[in-house]
Amino acid sequence: MTAPVVTPPETPTVAEPPAEPENPYGRFGPLVKWRPTTKTARSAGRILLAYLAALVIFGAFVALRHINPLSMYHSIWTSTITNRYGFGQVLVRTSPFILAALAVSVPARAGLINIGGEGQLVVGATAAGGVALALGTHVTGFPALLLMALAGMAAGALWAGLAAVLKLAGNVSEAISTLLLNYIGADVLAYLVYGPWKDKSGNGQPASKPLPKADYLPTIGILKAHAGIIIALVAVIVVAWAMNRTKWGFALKVVGGNPEAGRRSGLAVAGLTLSAMLVGGALAGLGGMVQFSGLEGQLRPGLAATYGYLGFLASWLARHRPYRVALAALLIGAISVAGNSLELSSHLPGGAVDVLMALVLLAVLSQKQAVKA
Amino acid sequence: MTPVLALFTPKGQHNYGLIISILIGAVAGGTSILWAALGETISERAGVINVGTEGCMLVGCLAAFATAVKTGNPWYGVVTGAAAGAALAAVHAWMVVYRKANQLATGLVVFFLAIGITDLYGTSYVSSEVHGFKNLAIPGLSKIPWIGPILFNHDPLVYLAYVATPAIWWFLFRSRWGLLIRTAGEKPESLVAYGLSPAKIRTLSVIAGGALAGVGGAQLSTAVALSWAENMTVGRGFIAVALVIFAAWEPMKVMAGAFLFGAAITLGSQLQVHGYKVNQFLLDALPYLVTIIVLVALARKRKNAAPEALGMSL
Repeated sequence: MTAPVVTPPETPTVAEPPAEPENPYGRFGPLVKWRPTTKTARSAGRILLAYLAALVIFGAFVALRHINPLSMYHSIWTSTITNRYGFGQVLVRTSPFILAALAVSVPARAGLINIGGEGQLVVGATAAGGVALALGTHVTGFPALLLMALAGMAAGALWAGLAAVLKLAGNVSEAISTLLLNYIGADVLAYLVYGPWKDKSGNGQPASKPLPKADYLPTIGILKAHAGIIIALVAVIVVAWAMNRTKWGFALKVVGGNPEAGRRSGLAVAGLTLSAMLVGGALAGLGGMVQFSGLEGQLRPGLAATYGYLGFLASWLARHRPYRVALAALLIGAISVAGNSLELSSHLPGGAVDVLMALVLLAVLSQKQAVKA
Repeated sequence: MTPVLALFTPKGQHNYGLIISILIGAVAGGTSILWAALGETISERAGVINVGTEGCMLVGCLAAFATAVKTGNPWYGVVTGAAAGAALAAVHAWMVVYRKANQLATGLVVFFLAIGITDLYGTSYVSSEVHGFKNLAIPGLSKIPWIGPILFNHDPLVYLAYVATPAIWWFLFRSRWGLLIRTAGEKPESLVAYGLSPAKIRTLSVIAGGALAGVGGAQLSTAVALSWAENMTVGRGFIAVALVIFAAWEPMKVMAGAFLFGAAITLGSQLQVHGYKVNQFLLDALPYLVTIIVLVALARKRKNAAPEALGMSL
């Protein structure tokens, strides 16, 4: 008998390796991927054109009010950049903007839209003011400032945390709830300064008792600005580190990109959502404390009004990248200080500068690349 | 008189008891929110969230007020208010539809633009007097006890809203145009298959929504407040956006919700007029609190009601 013919097992066909993607730089690729091409030049040109368009449209707005746009822009330039005192004012304005913007950037990393910087800033300032009132003259100087900062951060975190809880437990969009909480925050402040915290010895204005001189943030001589700008810049560095160098920052990015993928890879999406909002709120609350102890010294209704919205816009302007956020906040700070000089030199109402700001932001948002935030 | 009855029956120099007064105020004060929310319903049905509705209302307020002051006729104000709202919404539409910008961020910038523009052009109108809309009692209907004064003794824009709400429902759910709008919000790509442009449909819907928000602003400044003040909408447009969500994008439910907020807004002043001592600040916060509470309460129901492509770029 002949042994059955054993057919050798067929060799599994090896899948063809996928064709290498064509490399426009040659087989081994360049050492540096980026090189100035007509494309990048064109996109830079587009952005410049967009800024220019914003300036021209605003120029047309003010020309309608019989104001020479060129002399207006000249006065904006001289009042903010070339004048040392003016530049100090810009830094003073920029500090809370940076913190309010970071309050947007951190949740945005996790795909959350925090439009509540406004309210978080206000409750932060309110808490700092409350601590200052409670401490009186018993504790002053650095310990008092530290306590005020902690209280401000806690209050801001609470306000943003409310929105996170509403989202997680109640399925309420955080964009809507943070917007509504802004109005409630302003109301809390109004209640306190018209009622229990009103300075009885004041001139009848609804405001709290002034902060003792020793409790103000110290002034930095060279910059002609208070130390808030240092606090804000440290916050930028810490946030940038946390976003780019920690597990937490990476997890936020994953959840922000695709929450389902995050969930399947075992990330605690709820915890990350909550923590992103809490950190964001704490940053805005710190911004409120900086505004209170650096500049205002007294709680009053309308304190830091629109600062939260401007921070929101600064963060979008910078596509939520911490270092760019600082620059965007500086730009917005400069435009907003320019608004004061417009009021004085051109007799434009204070809100006129909001038009300029909105036009610049529309110009930036209208760039298609800005979509990939 | 028992205290409960006093709430309903005439009291002192006021014509109506507390509850009736609140309900009257709810309709009068809720109508501006209703117009804005109807506009937002159209916009969101087409797939575009417009947080700038607040801004559209604000420019509508000022344009209508200024026109009414200059011409003495508030109806011209309604036209310019709608035009102003539409123009601002066109900015939003262009940004989100053709430049594919983020809808929420753009909406907020548009709101900011409105704050700036109204401040730039509004300061001279702050103490102006206006011949605004007067209440028109509808003969016969306004004599019905309780219901008459609550529903049928208002300014013409309230009656127009009574008609516009079912009309918009019919338009969205029974007309061909409405079908196209809803498709733009659910499956925009299928419009392309029919040779239609979802971009155009979305743009027109957003502009129409802005026009309605402008009418809402006109009602606020020329029928309710009869004055202009900086940022006088104080979040009514944002409440309208929230309202559309929990009304599940349906015009008739939007109407009910708008009057609920009207009640929350008017509650404070009515209580004070009727001599009740209440905390002003708690009452001021009430509309926003009510909005949040209702959003939470109705969270389960509206889960699947949202247009599928809402908030997404084409």
